[in-house]
Amino acid sequence: MVKVAVYPPNSLVIADLIERKGHTALALQKEMRKKIKDPEIDSPPMNITEEDPIKGLKYAAIEVPSGVRGRMSIIGPIIDEAEAAILVDNAPYGFGCVGCQRTNELSIFCLRQRHIPTLELEYPTSRDETMDMVNKINTFLDNLAEPKEESEEKEQEKVETKTVPAVADTTPDVEPNELTEDESVVEAKEDKEVPAEERMKTEEERAVSKEDLVASLKSKGGY
Amino acid sequence: MEEAEEHLTMSPKLGSEDLDPEVVNRMIILGPRANVSESELANELHLLGLPLTIKETCYGAMVSGKEKDVMKAIKEIRKLDPYNIFTKDRGFAPGDPRRCRGHRLGPREGFHQLEREFELLDYVGEALKNPRPVEITKPKPIDVDEFKDIVKKSIKEEKITK
Repeated sequence: MVKVAVYPPNSLVIADLIERKGHTALALQKEMRKKIKDPEIDSPPMNITEEDPIKGLKYAAIEVPSGVRGRMSIIGPIIDEAEAAILVDNAPYGFGCVGCQRTNELSIFCLRQRHIPTLELEYPTSRDETMDMVNKINTFLDNLAEPKEESEEKEQEKVETKTVPAVADTTPDVEPNELTEDESVVEAKEDKEVPAEERMKTEEERAVSKEDLVASLKSKGGY
Repeated sequence: MEEAEEHLTMSPKLGSEDLDPEVVNRMIILGPRANVSESELANELHLLGLPLTIKETCYGAMVSGKEKDVMKAIKEIRKLDPYNIFTKDRGFAPGDPRRCRGHRLGPREGFHQLEREFELLDYVGEALKNPRPVEITKPKPIDVDEFKDIVKKSIKEEKITK
């Protein structure tokens, strides 16, 4: 069971699909309920306590409008708790419960920065788009449900096959078996990036091509 | 005017259930093609015999109670029409004067989004009934060489047009 954050945070369709697959949807209503059940707050969500702006400071600087910080004090814990996220972009004006575009942008930015499995979708406007969206969400959620042990085993196999030659070339004194898991994962990541670097040209070639580009732009008068 | 101010700063008299952190509220929403009506849904919920507060609404029903009972009720009620019954959490208790339409001067908060999402529920139910395999492709950053080619091409094109 994975805790999945949704955006807009009160979405009926996405939260329902998540629960159908046996995961937990981190909906904003649950956070609001905590406020409502608090006997010290008379009329939520209009009342805030002195703790809320302090909580909001974790996500937004002091110069940021207090409205954004206040909202982030409620949405922030959802972002911290999330193990996966489903974000819907380009929703119609007024869609969602936040009522503040800057908070929406900041929340989506924070969720992306978490580097958790994220599915980004466009708001559907037709039958085909809606059906495609539902199928994508279901596929994404099925992939989340894969048992961790299996996926870890697969990763380890990949690491073993990929890292051994690279490690032997770069660090001859250290035996591959002595590497800890974290180190081997890092090595694997570096190893994956190698093909991209190979595609890059040497520095000289890059400098020459840059000069060409600058010259062509200058000739156009746009540099 | 006084009435409007009054309802915005309302301090309702809450019962013990309203302040119990273990009590959760759920909205049960019927899709446009649902085989059951709102009253049938409410009847079925009552017939389950669980200790729940049940309210029949225009979109379906609202249930309130201990989380274990609410989830059990939802699991049972989905069996009536698995592809056209949707559920959603709700922060406020059924009939809470701070949210209930009966005490407000206009539609309650959340109504407009529910209205928007209701338009999609027909297709969502259809997609759930007939699932299709899809591939999720992640957008990748453009390759440097490819980007250079594009820049060169566009420069050439502009030169030609000038």
